[in-house]
Amino acid sequence: MLKGILTSILFFIVINSEAQLGVMKMVGNNTKNYSFGIGAYIKGVFPVSQAGDLTLELGANIFFLNDGGSGDGTALVPIKAGYRYSLNGTGMGFYVEPQIGYNIYGVTSANVDGTTENFTFHGLVLAAGTGYLFLIGNTPLDLNLHYETIIDHGGSDNYISLGLSFYLHFGKRDSEQ
Amino acid sequence: MRRLLIAFLVIISQSSCLKQSISDAMIASQNSGTQGGNSPGVATMTYAVNGNTVTITVNDPDSQIPTAYQLGCSKTVYPGTSSTVYSLDCLSTSGEMTNTFFTDSLAVGNYTYTGIYGDMFVLSYNGTDEYIHDPADSISFNITSYSKGHISGNFSGRLTPMIMAGNPNNTYGSPGSVLITQGSFKDVPVFY
Repeated sequence: MLKGILTSILFFIVINSEAQLGVMKMVGNNTKNYSFGIGAYIKGVFPVSQAGDLTLELGANIFFLNDGGSGDGTALVPIKAGYRYSLNGTGMGFYVEPQIGYNIYGVTSANVDGTTENFTFHGLVLAAGTGYLFLIGNTPLDLNLHYETIIDHGGSDNYISLGLSFYLHFGKRDSEQ
Repeated sequence: MRRLLIAFLVIISQSSCLKQSISDAMIASQNSGTQGGNSPGVATMTYAVNGNTVTITVNDPDSQIPTAYQLGCSKTVYPGTSSTVYSLDCLSTSGEMTNTFFTDSLAVGNYTYTGIYGDMFVLSYNGTDEYIHDPADSISFNITSYSKGHISGNFSGRLTPMIMAGNPNNTYGSPGSVLITQGSFKDVPVFY
């Protein structure tokens, strides 16, 4: 199954894709000891209309614990499908993007009985994002803000991310052809 | 599209309201399994206040309510701060006792609090509240064992009685006149 997913992602990347680096912050219960995290993703983009794109995204996020302990934290590898809708209908400018997916791999460290233990998990991923697609010269960029939650074992990890994406290849829309 | 987005945001906000992080949920699950399968059956705490022995025994301590227990230790946010601490508390017929472990990662070791850090309530004994108040006052806890969600160890201290609560200043009795000796605790559950 994983091989199929990765094959699909590679296919999407060949067609039309973007990459991002971003900063993130865990929010919610028991997250005050987390410092800022970093994340990266690659995203396949399929224009389905002038205003909308289907997206498929594979990310890797790391959050560092700053509790004076052994320096562990949380790492996540979510894969998400979404629909990106530009508000002005042009495919550029402001957009919203709900996403749903699966956390392929997650690991988090915690103090248990005085020692650090690592817990692995998966879980459902839900995300909502907004951003602004724009051009600098001929370079398309995407400045975006996302809120994401991962649900597993009856708990949830939540974080917000601020990122800047650049397109590895920018697919042309019908009107541009 | 707008309705769909609103519905999606509602789902996300609801899921984000889960009270536990994933790691906390997994720890709780792990502890319920270990505590349920290897419950010590009884938790005890005993100490002497100026030679008068106080003993607390709680049967099936793991079944206590994590937010309202007779003898237990819980992770909490220290009042007035954003710091996470552990609070070891017990309730006896002579009064209550509480000790704060100023750490966000409770472990085997020594935890000592002295009067130079400021006043801190430690216990009430037959109606009198005993504080760490004088710079020479202290309470020293040794956690000698921390296993499967239960701690054991010993403690001792030197406290000052508060004669009268007042505003802005409390009235204290003879500094260091309350001695806590022969303190021990065994198989006290730690609630997350």
